Amino acid sequence: MTLRMKLLVVPCAALSFAGGVALATSPATKPAPSPPASAPLPKHVVPTSKDGNLVLGLCDGETSLEVEGVKDGQKLTREQAVRATAKLMDDWRKKNPDALWDDVPGPALAQATPPGAKKSPPPAPQPNPGSKPAGSPVQAGGVGAQTGAKAVPRQEQANLQTGHTYGAFSERDEKVWAESTQAFVKEGHRVFHDAEAVGGTVGVSCDMCHPDAANTHPETYPKYQVQLGRVALLRDMINWCIENPARGKPLADGDPKMRAMEAYIYAQRKGTKLEYGKH
Amino acid sequence: MRLPSGVVTVLAVVLNTGVGHAAPAPSQGSPPPPLPPGVSATLWKLSVPPGSEPTPEKVALGEKLFREKRLSADNTVACMTCHEPELGFTDGKALSEGIGNQKVTRNSPTVLNAVFNATQFWDGRSATLEDQAKLPILNPREMGMPNPEAVVAKVRAIPEYAAEFKKVFGRDVNYDDLAAAIAAFERMQFSGNARFDKFITGDAKALSASEKNGWALFNGKARCNSCHAGNAVSPLFSDQKFHNIGVAAHKQDFIALARKGVQVVRTGDEKQIDELALQTEFSELGRFLVTKQENDVGSFKTPTLRNVGITGPYMHDGSLTTLWDVMDHYNKGGVPNPFLDGGMQRLGLTEPEIDDLVSFLFALTDSKYDKLNKEQLAKQRARRNNRPERDTEVALGKKGHLGDLAPNPDLHVKNPADLGIYGDVTPVAPSTQSKPR
Repeated sequence: MTLRMKLLVVPCAALSFAGGVALATSPATKPAPSPPASAPLPKHVVPTSKDGNLVLGLCDGETSLEVEGVKDGQKLTREQAVRATAKLMDDWRKKNPDALWDDVPGPALAQATPPGAKKSPPPAPQPNPGSKPAGSPVQAGGVGAQTGAKAVPRQEQANLQTGHTYGAFSERDEKVWAESTQAFVKEGHRVFHDAEAVGGTVGVSCDMCHPDAANTHPETYPKYQVQLGRVALLRDMINWCIENPARGKPLADGDPKMRAMEAYIYAQRKGTKLEYGKH
Repeated sequence: MRLPSGVVTVLAVVLNTGVGHAAPAPSQGSPPPPLPPGVSATLWKLSVPPGSEPTPEKVALGEKLFREKRLSADNTVACMTCHEPELGFTDGKALSEGIGNQKVTRNSPTVLNAVFNATQFWDGRSATLEDQAKLPILNPREMGMPNPEAVVAKVRAIPEYAAEFKKVFGRDVNYDDLAAAIAAFERMQFSGNARFDKFITGDAKALSASEKNGWALFNGKARCNSCHAGNAVSPLFSDQKFHNIGVAAHKQDFIALARKGVQVVRTGDEKQIDELALQTEFSELGRFLVTKQENDVGSFKTPTLRNVGITGPYMHDGSLTTLWDVMDHYNKGGVPNPFLDGGMQRLGLTEPEIDDLVSFLFALTDSKYDKLNKEQLAKQRARRNNRPERDTEVALGKKGHLGDLAPNPDLHVKNPADLGIYGDVTPVAPSTQSKPR
């Protein structure tokens, strides 16, 4: 336990643009220029407390904080964790006053389909004998040339989508899709706000440094991450935060929790211009 | 950036309400009744029109009417004759029988989860359960009443109903109220308490290895999910669309039949379509009778797969006896015809894979039908070597081209079923998540 690395999973993604500058001057964590993908990732080694207190590390790879009254190996309560991470973020902001910074709270939670934002096609045609418009020209013996198919939507006052069986999507379909997406985002919201769910061992959850997923900047990936010493996708930075500040095990790319968190983080930045590689 | 914990908590609460998807909006009428895990509150909201929410009084009257043989011309047939609650709201027959033992040309679909259907009947000719309830009473081969007025007169003459309609609807018996009561009863026949639901909500042991493999095949090589996709929001395992899968093609020259059909069908005349669909050769035209779209020739609605184990025989005409037959039908890519759905392709499923798929399908049956499900499985398994639809040469590509097959899932790496395909619900209880892996 004595030399155990003390890491704090914090807003790595958010800080990366400026974190790069901070890290470039940090010899302890300076990565090799382009390690092969299989090389072990750099770790943030935090100092040991002489009182045996828990030491949290920030995701910039150099800032750390001793939590008084909590021994190493103990788990923070949510209140303690929120206070500690807020202090860490404060320290970092003092060090980097010019860093690009989203005011927190971030944008209101995006909706997959904001009500009224998009016009759905009219519902699928519902055959309904009673709803036939008065005086509609139903000819005895069938309608018009060939099958008379064109007359059907007119008579039923519905936009009968044709072409192929997979193209005829209705308003109901779109609602199911939007709700399914929203359920996925909601699951991500849950994981993002739950230190246990991300597998953290010190009680730190994602939202403590990224309220409402602020300063995660998913729209800037892929980009070179100095902490990682390689080009990263959003999920790579999520895993860095899980491994370092939250001290958990990284999630597999296909892990439902990882997928849900990505969904939530992207949903929070709806409308933001994509700018891969931006720092 | 310092945030007092109180602020964070408030934010979390705000966010929670912001993303709440299952909470019924107050403007949408009364909230859904308590729903089992495999039933979606979202789908309930989408499927129950405001004002049509079932009330206990309507449901009770509706059940009585559902079981009432006096709604038929000769007092021998009730709704439940073909939709027997004990048999999963079907009749277990290939083709249903109405008054005077007359056969109709379609298989009786289950009422279970019919509340969630986008349209009713195999060809979607009715938009609502109310519309649906009115037609079989008047069909000459089903319950045989001549017209709505005759039904109303007959029911009004039964004192108990006269009184009960007054009590529930506050007015004399009429055909709309009668249909509304039956629909209210049917809306309460939702079902979503299968072993599969236990599995998908985190009990990994709820399914056997064979059933899990079946679920993986369902979403992979067997391509069932192309039309029978299920997820947490829409757990029906049906796209509610209409497809020609080449079942009707067994018996029909579609082109000649469609040409004849358009001369006869009156667009929008639901009553006429109902009779053509149940009594004539035009039945096999399926959705085409309703839309007259050529690409709808011979296409029928994708049925829900919930309770599929107990609702055989299968397909719109009950022509496939077991789920093994159904697998054989899909495995060879259906029966070729000019209107065959483009999604129908040979699947190359092996016998063990077919067995796994069938065992998975039996895991979709609601637990209240456990006993019936076991009996049906045993019955179907006994016919496992009697396979009229099997064409292994074609299915496995020894004859003709097989085309591209979806890959076999490699369950040793990861069962795709565990990756949250079903609505991306994390299928692990939070308490186990802090354990090191």
